[in-house]
Amino acid sequence: MERDTTELFEEFKELTASEFFKRNKQMLGFSGKIRSLTIVFHELITNSLDACEEAGILPDISIELKRLGKDHYLLKHADNGPGIPEDFITKVYCQMFAGSKFRNIQSRGQQGLGCSGCVLLSQMTTGQPVKIRSRYRDGDNLKGVEMDVKLDVKKNTGIILDRKEFETDRTGSGIEIEFKDVSYSMSEQGAYEYIRRTVIGNPHARIVFKDPTGRKYTFERATEQIPPLPKEVLPHPKGVTADDIIDLCKTTNKKRFKNLLMDSLSRVSSKKIKELEEATGIDMNKRPKSITWKEAEQVVQQFDQMKFMAPPTSGLKPIGDEQIEKGINEILLPEFSTAITRKPQAYRGGVSFIIEAGIAYGGKAGRLVGQQKKAEIMRFANRVPLTFDQGSCAITEALKSIDWRRYGVRNLDDAPISVFVNIISTNVPYLSTGKQSVAPEEEIVREIRQATMKIARKLEKYIRTKKAAKNEEMRAKIFEDLVPVVIKQSALLAEKDVPEYDKIMDEVTHKAKIMDMKHRLKQPEIEPMQILITEDPKTRMKTEYEEYEDYDEVVEDDE
Amino acid sequence: MMKHKEHALNSLKGMGDEVLEKILLEQVPSLKIPSRGTGNIIYNEEKRYFELGDRKGTRSLGNVKQIKKMAQMMCVGNFCKELVNIQKTATMREMYYVSEGWDVGFDNQQESNNITEDIEVTLGVSRENLGLLPEEDGAAVYGDITLRDEDVEFNALRMGKSGYSIPPTVDDVEFVDSNVERIIAVETMGMFHRLVQEKAYDRFNTLIVGLKGQAARATRRFIRRASDELNVPVYICNDGDPWGFHIGMVIISGSAKLAHVNHDLATPDAKFLGVTASDIMNYDLPTDKLKDIDVARLKELSADPRYRGKFWQSEIKKMLKLGRKAEQQSFSKYGLEYIVDEYFPAKIGAIEGSPIE
Repeated sequence: MERDTTELFEEFKELTASEFFKRNKQMLGFSGKIRSLTIVFHELITNSLDACEEAGILPDISIELKRLGKDHYLLKHADNGPGIPEDFITKVYCQMFAGSKFRNIQSRGQQGLGCSGCVLLSQMTTGQPVKIRSRYRDGDNLKGVEMDVKLDVKKNTGIILDRKEFETDRTGSGIEIEFKDVSYSMSEQGAYEYIRRTVIGNPHARIVFKDPTGRKYTFERATEQIPPLPKEVLPHPKGVTADDIIDLCKTTNKKRFKNLLMDSLSRVSSKKIKELEEATGIDMNKRPKSITWKEAEQVVQQFDQMKFMAPPTSGLKPIGDEQIEKGINEILLPEFSTAITRKPQAYRGGVSFIIEAGIAYGGKAGRLVGQQKKAEIMRFANRVPLTFDQGSCAITEALKSIDWRRYGVRNLDDAPISVFVNIISTNVPYLSTGKQSVAPEEEIVREIRQATMKIARKLEKYIRTKKAAKNEEMRAKIFEDLVPVVIKQSALLAEKDVPEYDKIMDEVTHKAKIMDMKHRLKQPEIEPMQILITEDPKTRMKTEYEEYEDYDEVVEDDE
Repeated sequence: MMKHKEHALNSLKGMGDEVLEKILLEQVPSLKIPSRGTGNIIYNEEKRYFELGDRKGTRSLGNVKQIKKMAQMMCVGNFCKELVNIQKTATMREMYYVSEGWDVGFDNQQESNNITEDIEVTLGVSRENLGLLPEEDGAAVYGDITLRDEDVEFNALRMGKSGYSIPPTVDDVEFVDSNVERIIAVETMGMFHRLVQEKAYDRFNTLIVGLKGQAARATRRFIRRASDELNVPVYICNDGDPWGFHIGMVIISGSAKLAHVNHDLATPDAKFLGVTASDIMNYDLPTDKLKDIDVARLKELSADPRYRGKFWQSEIKKMLKLGRKAEQQSFSKYGLEYIVDEYFPAKIGAIEGSPIE
C-alpha cells in the first residue's frame, strides 16, 4: 500500500546536534572499545592542558580508572586549572558546538566534540549522570561547586540533577564519569600509551594515573616552563576557499572589498589587489556584501596563480628541541637522545607548519614486543599524540622512506629506538575526521625526512662512537691478556728473566684514550654534540690494520 | 746431539731474545716473517724449484690481530724446544691437543699448522728438526742400502717384502753404505711389488721407492738425500695422466706451498720416465678417455713454470691431442713381466746411453 507523502514527511524531524551525534557516534571518534576510551582520555587531558596554559598554570592532572564490570569503567579526572565558573559548567560538559568559532590558530583541537562528547557517550552507554566538581576564583574568593548533570539530547542543553557548594583552597575542575562498551588496553592504541606520549609531547605536564589494577603511574614533569600561548594569525590567500571569502564578506564591517581582503588576509598588499583586479576584472571597491559566489571562486582561482610571501609564522609555538629532549629523557631514560625544531615551512603555498623531531636510543626507548625491542614511531600534531591510522600518515611515510642503515641502524623495526615527530600548524591537514593521521603533503613529508635525517646523523655518530669505545675496550683486553704471554714465553725461550713491561703495555693498550671515550659516552644528554670525536675511528682502524698481511692465506697446491 | 738439532735450539732461543731485547729498550717488539703469500712464491729457473722471495711481513706486539699469533709462535717455540731437548717428537695433531693447556690456544688445527710453518720460515728450520712430525709415514724403500737409525743398523733388502718405511725423522737416519746405481720411484704400491717380485733391484741394481701417491715430505727428503749422497740418477714412473705427471714434478721441483723448504726437498735432476703420452702411442697401451677435470688440469700444468721445458710442453700437447690417459699397470696387457723385461731397460737405457742389465 502506498503511503501518503504528507504522512512520510511527518516523520521528518529536525535533528539537534546532540541527536545527530547520538546516531553517529563514530564521528566523534567513538568507534571501537579501545579507541573510545583513548578518545575520552584525549578530550579530558586536552581540556585540562589548554585551560592550565591559558591561565599560566603548570598542569597537574590526575586520572583514575576503576573497573566496575566487563567493559564497564568509572573514570575520575581532576586538574589544577582555573576551574569553570558555575554558569559555564553545563555549557562545557553538556552542549555541543558551545563557543566554537573559526579561528586561524594553532590548537590541540578536539577529536570530536570535546567534553560534551564524553558525557554523551557515558549517557548513551550507561544512562547515568556525571558528577562535575569545579573550584574557581569568584572575585576575591575561591568557590567550590559540585553538580550531577545529565544531557538533554533533544534540546542540546544540560540538566542539573543535584548541586552542592563546598569550601576549597585551590582552583581546578574534575569529573566522575561512567562508561560501558569501552576497554582499557596497554597496547600502542590504548589509554596508557596515550598518557605516556602526552607527557613526552608536553614535558611541562605532570600526570598521575591509577590503572584498573590499582597500579599508580606518576609521570613527573621534565620542565617548569609553561609553553607560550599560540597567537591567532590572519589566513594566507593560498589557504582560503570561496566559502571562506563569502563568510568574511557577510560578517565584515568594511565598506570596500579590497579593504576586507587586505585586513582579513595576510600578505595582501595594494599591489596584489591591483594585480587581482586586472586579472579577474572584479571591481575591488565593491561592497563586500555584493560579492557573488562566482566572484569569490574567481578570486580564489587567481590567488592560486599569484605569488605571495610565505605566511607569517609568529603565531606558531613549537615545543622546542630542548623541551622535547627533556620530555624524552624523563620518560624514556635513553642512552642517547637528540631533538630538533625546524624553521617554519609552508605547504600548498599558504599554510605554515613547523616540524619537530626527536630520537631516543637505548634505555626504555622502543617498544618491548615479547623479548625483542621494536622501534616505535610517536606521532604528534600540535603536541597531541596520534595513536590510530598510523599506516597512511605522512609521518610514517616519511620515516619509512629513510634509509636507516646509513645512520647505523640496520633495521628500524628491530632497533631500540623511539622516533618522535610533531607537526605544529594552524591547519594540520588531517586525512579524516578522526584526526589521527596527517595527509602526506609533499612539503610536509619532505620536511619530516629532512628533520629526522638531520638528527639521525647525530644518532649515527653516537652509535659509531659507542662501537669504537667497545672495540677499544676489547682491543685493550686482548693486549692485557696476551702481552704477558708473549713476554713470559719469550723469556722462557731465551732462558732469561721476565723483564719489566708496564710501559710497553700502556703504549699498546692506549689506556688513556678508552677512559676518555667512556667518559664522553656517559653523559650524552647534556651536550650530544660533545660526544662526537673529530677523528673518524673507522678510518683510523683501517690504517692501523693496513700493514697487516694475512699469512693464513697460502696457495692451495698439491699436498 | 746432532748438528741440526743444535741449530734448531739456537734459533729458537734467538727468537725469544729478539723480543726481550726490544722490551728492555722499551720498544714494541716485532718479528719479521718471510711472506708465504702467492706474491712471494717465485720459481727459480736456475735452481729449478719454487722458493720464497724477499718479501717479509711484520708481526708486532702492538697490533691487535698480530699479537695472538706472536703469542702462539712463542708457545709453539717453547714446546719445540722441550721436544728437541728431550729428544722426542710429536705429531702436529698431538701438539694441537697439548696446546689446549697453554695460555693461548688454537681455534683449529689449521691455525696451529700455519703457526708451525711461520716458525719454519722465520728460523729457516724444518718442522721435522723442531721435533714436529706429520701424521703419515713416508714411502717404502727396497734395495741394497745400509742405514743407521740411532743405534740400529739395517739393510733395506732385509726388511721384508714391503721394504723399509721412511720415517718422518729421515734427517736422523744415516746413510751408511750403498752400491746401487740408480733409484726408481713408482706411484703405486702395486707397481712396487711387481718390481720387487721381478727382482728389479737386482737386475737394474736399483733402489725401488713406492711413493703411495703424492710423496710425503719425508719421502721427498729421502729421495733428495739419496740423490745427493749416493750420487745416482733418480727415475720416476707414474700413471700417464696429469696427476701422475704432477706427483713426479713435486719430487723434481717441489710444491709452492712448501717453497720455504724446497731447498731441502726438491730433486731437480730426477727424471720423469713415464708413462708419457708418447709411451701410450709407442706401446699402444690400453687407455681411458680424458675427463673434463683431466683436461683442465693438463691446461693448468702447461701454464705452470715448472713445466716450461720442451719435454713437458710436447707431452702435455700430445696427451691433449690424444684425449686419452693410461695407468702404469696397463703394460700388463703384454704380460706381468713386460714392464720390467722391456719397458724399463728400454727407457732407462736410452737415457743413460748404455744397457742397464
